Amino acid sequence: MSEEKRLPISRRSLLGATAGGAALAGAFGSRAMLTGTAVVGAATLASATSARAAAGAEVGPGQLDEYYGFWSSGQCGEMRILGIPSMRELMRVPVFNTCSATGWGITNESKKILTEGLLPDTKEYLAANGLEFPPNGDLHHLHMSFTEGTYDGRFLFMNDKANTRVARVRCDVMKCDKIIEIPNTKAIHGLRPQKWPRTDYVFCNGEDEVPMVNDGKILDEPEKYVNFYTAVNADEMTVAWQVMVTGNLDNTDCDYEGKYAFSTSYNSEMGMTLADMTEADMDHVVVFNIKEIEAGIEAGDFIELNGVKVLDGRKGQNKKYTRYIPIPNNPHGCNMAPDKIHLCIAGKLSPTVSVIDVRKLDAVFDEDADPRSVVVAEPELGLGPLHTCYDGEGNAFTTLFLDSQVVKWNIEKAIQLYNGDDVDPIITKADVHYQPGHNSTVMGETLEASGKYYLTMNKFSKDRFLNVGPLKPENEQLFAIDGDKMTLIHDGPTFAEPHDSILVDPSKVNPKSVWDRNDPMWADARKQAEADGVDLDDWQEEVIRDGNKVRVYMSSNAPSFSLESFTVRQGDEVTVYVTNLDDIDDLTHGFTMGNHAVAMEISPQQTSSVTFVAERPGVYWYYCQWFCHALHMEMRGRMFVEPRAS
Amino acid sequence: MMRALTFVLPLLIALPLWAGERHVAPGQGALANAIAEAEPGDVIFLEAGRHLGPVIIDRPLTLTGEHDAILDGAGKGTVITIDAPDVTISNLTVTGSGLNSQDTDAGIKILKKADRAIVKGNRVLGNLHGIDVHGGRDAQVRDNTIEGTRDPRMNDRGNGIYVWNSPGTLVEGNSVRWGRDGIFSNTSRTGIYRNNLFRDLRFAVHYMYTNDSEVSGNVSIGNHLGYAIMFSNNVIIKDNLSLSDRSHGLMLNFANNADVSGNLVRGGADRCTFIYNAHKNLIYDNRFEGCTIGIHFTAGSERNVLTGNAFIGNRTQVKYVGTRDIEWSFKGRGNYWSDHSSFDLGGDGIADSAFRPNDLMDHILWSQPAAALLTGAPAVQLIRWAQSSFPATLPGGVVDSVPLMTAQAVTIPPKYLAMEAGAALRRNESSFDDFDINDLASH
Repeated sequence: MSEEKRLPISRRSLLGATAGGAALAGAFGSRAMLTGTAVVGAATLASATSARAAAGAEVGPGQLDEYYGFWSSGQCGEMRILGIPSMRELMRVPVFNTCSATGWGITNESKKILTEGLLPDTKEYLAANGLEFPPNGDLHHLHMSFTEGTYDGRFLFMNDKANTRVARVRCDVMKCDKIIEIPNTKAIHGLRPQKWPRTDYVFCNGEDEVPMVNDGKILDEPEKYVNFYTAVNADEMTVAWQVMVTGNLDNTDCDYEGKYAFSTSYNSEMGMTLADMTEADMDHVVVFNIKEIEAGIEAGDFIELNGVKVLDGRKGQNKKYTRYIPIPNNPHGCNMAPDKIHLCIAGKLSPTVSVIDVRKLDAVFDEDADPRSVVVAEPELGLGPLHTCYDGEGNAFTTLFLDSQVVKWNIEKAIQLYNGDDVDPIITKADVHYQPGHNSTVMGETLEASGKYYLTMNKFSKDRFLNVGPLKPENEQLFAIDGDKMTLIHDGPTFAEPHDSILVDPSKVNPKSVWDRNDPMWADARKQAEADGVDLDDWQEEVIRDGNKVRVYMSSNAPSFSLESFTVRQGDEVTVYVTNLDDIDDLTHGFTMGNHAVAMEISPQQTSSVTFVAERPGVYWYYCQWFCHALHMEMRGRMFVEPRAS
Repeated sequence: MMRALTFVLPLLIALPLWAGERHVAPGQGALANAIAEAEPGDVIFLEAGRHLGPVIIDRPLTLTGEHDAILDGAGKGTVITIDAPDVTISNLTVTGSGLNSQDTDAGIKILKKADRAIVKGNRVLGNLHGIDVHGGRDAQVRDNTIEGTRDPRMNDRGNGIYVWNSPGTLVEGNSVRWGRDGIFSNTSRTGIYRNNLFRDLRFAVHYMYTNDSEVSGNVSIGNHLGYAIMFSNNVIIKDNLSLSDRSHGLMLNFANNADVSGNLVRGGADRCTFIYNAHKNLIYDNRFEGCTIGIHFTAGSERNVLTGNAFIGNRTQVKYVGTRDIEWSFKGRGNYWSDHSSFDLGGDGIADSAFRPNDLMDHILWSQPAAALLTGAPAVQLIRWAQSSFPATLPGGVVDSVPLMTAQAVTIPPKYLAMEAGAALRRNESSFDDFDINDLASH
């Protein structure tokens, strides 16, 4: 066009945070705008607050929320419980992380859960690094157990992408009771419980491609890599079976008939570099035929790999275990609609969502129908579609990562459009701040989906909050839905990094306020107490010596421990069992041993135990770290450690 | 003497290559046989008529032909697959690829390791993708005419030129019409995309993760969107035209460290330019004219510099969404605002009063034209008045302390003016399946 222009500005002087900016300072009195410390205006929440009131979504002090929200926390590795619509954080439940407050990862009860499901070679690896269990986790997706297409309030299941684990949280006490590591596969990402007839299986996607036998004999030979789809037996928390697939696995869901499960694959190419993973214009969703897989197991059509029955569902096997439906372009989200018919696959790099009619899948398996024949709509919704949720009235909400928007659209109209009708499926778009990933509606992944609230989980908050340094919180935004109107009622900053959430009607969840004394969580402690002749359910102040092992049994009643002191010898392996005999709501005690890296929670009627080696002679105070009483500070005692005889 | 010698020597070496020119008449398997028999460096010359593909070129050679030589893939796969370095395809009509998106069917495909391919002066018509630069480095795609399909479902169309993972690609002087995107550049780098003409497409230029590259001198007319530069660093975007594009002229979405200069966006796009979560860009000497919104600036875009731009007759000159205060000028040089009424008593080309082109002001001016009377008053006063009138609006805004008194001109070659007028006429003929990113109302 025009002649070559010379850059009038030196980028170095302009944008470099350390370069001299005298000219700018002269021009504007400040170069703040170029160094990232822009002047922050006093942001007002006035409009959001009034929006909340207008939407009838105010939760006043002392009022209970309408719904539970169960949250993942990504690389924090814990589960969180929020109240909806207030977005108040109600509880954190440690799962794959360690927790200073509750002693998760410190107590014997939690260590058992964290270690018993690890594979032998993982234990060896950890031991070589001075560890008993992985100190980190990456908890992306959590979902509640189902009975006949809706939540039944028994369990929550969740993945650990970082260390290839699956955990279960008991909803009656909101504590994790099982963690298993999944053999063969790597990086469990997508996870969903079976919806129908009940959650017999939890389906788990392995994201990372590795050699079938990953013992180092095969390294940089990607053509020999495979991915595994895993079905976990939800009741026993064991691996039921695995299916080898072509391409990697990203997100997963299943139908409302118990026939099929689905997984998206952004790397159908089996590429090993970013470039190779984006090569194909079309990737795919894998459909798993559960009955055929079970029949294959029955017929012995599997190999056994690390104790797991593994079927071959890769392309070209001509088995009826899997089918591959082409989807454009690096698809991500995989969400089954509550109409029992439509499955929405979000295109990510394609601005489309592919709608699959699951009733057409039988023909793909039984008659080898064209896999694309199951796609009944593919509306263009905007840039970067990632995840879809539903209002139970035929509409869908899809997050648009690149556009930083949510789009509400009508599934039926999208189908009409695909069939050539002149209709617009898009109902409305709303901005979110910024770059949304997962989203949720109330009961949105069940047959009881409702569109009262819409939650979007944004990966960036940028300028939405007071600056807290280079690391910024994420931002979750709650909308009230009124017909076609979406009103933003809440910005909720959250620490790293909730990926997914479910919003649950309180009628589904009924946790206890006080532990049952017969809870299996401390079955080992009970067994040991019986062997030691201690009644774990009553006042106890026993110190049992067993060689260089010392077992200290004490009970706690606010504001005192039954033992105000005990004595051990240097080098003893000491196990302290504390039973909280208070049975008052919210009267949790703690036990912290000063200077011994020991702390634990003992909630009403709970028993917790912790083991350490008393390697330091002297006087050490233990105390209650969960505030319990007016004399809470006085609730403490001494451990005397006698020096080793020289 | 030395100079003459070095000039002659290459000629002597090159001469024997001409001996390898093979003429191929249309006929079953004739072209495939010719390729199989060719020596590296041979020229295969297609005579007029319909030659049947698909063909794979697996050795360095030149495939060219008479003006009416047509290579037809007969609806199967990719018509010409280049699977060797130093291959040239020129002066052919290439048509009839398959329509399988999974296999990225194309008129001409340049595979990995097929480096330094030259594809020039061809007519690439009615294929799924036109030219797919699929891993070969340093390809040159020049002076081709590419026309895609017009399938009603956008996902069933392909891109005119598809650049994937092909560093050093030069795309120059092509004319692309119909299909999905003019150039879709995905996971590549150091490409140069210049002086191309794009018409009747979804995006003229669609960038995803293509760092250290250049988009210059291109002309986009009547597309849904002109230049979508996304998730890429260090892109030079200069001297492009966007005429009568529908939704955006120039979009930066997480494009960082770009130099954006000398571009003209004109003619009723929703947004002349859309700066979205894009940082550290130099945006200077551009002209944004006659759009619904001149510049829409949002999503925490930080450390950008705007200077020397002209904002002319946009219904809303600036839509800024953010909570910070930012200055749009550099070294005493701001931008030209057609709605800024001010004197230049100093005669230095700089207006005597600052310009606050935030959406608050625009809103007032459009809803209450009488407020324009106040524009001569100190800006602070006006903002106070505005804030008291619209207390719910978030704080923060744009100020240009040193606005310019004159706008720089950009000349448009006459042949594009007719195309621009035609595109403007066709604008109302869209269907809902057209890519609709217009609905960004609440940004």
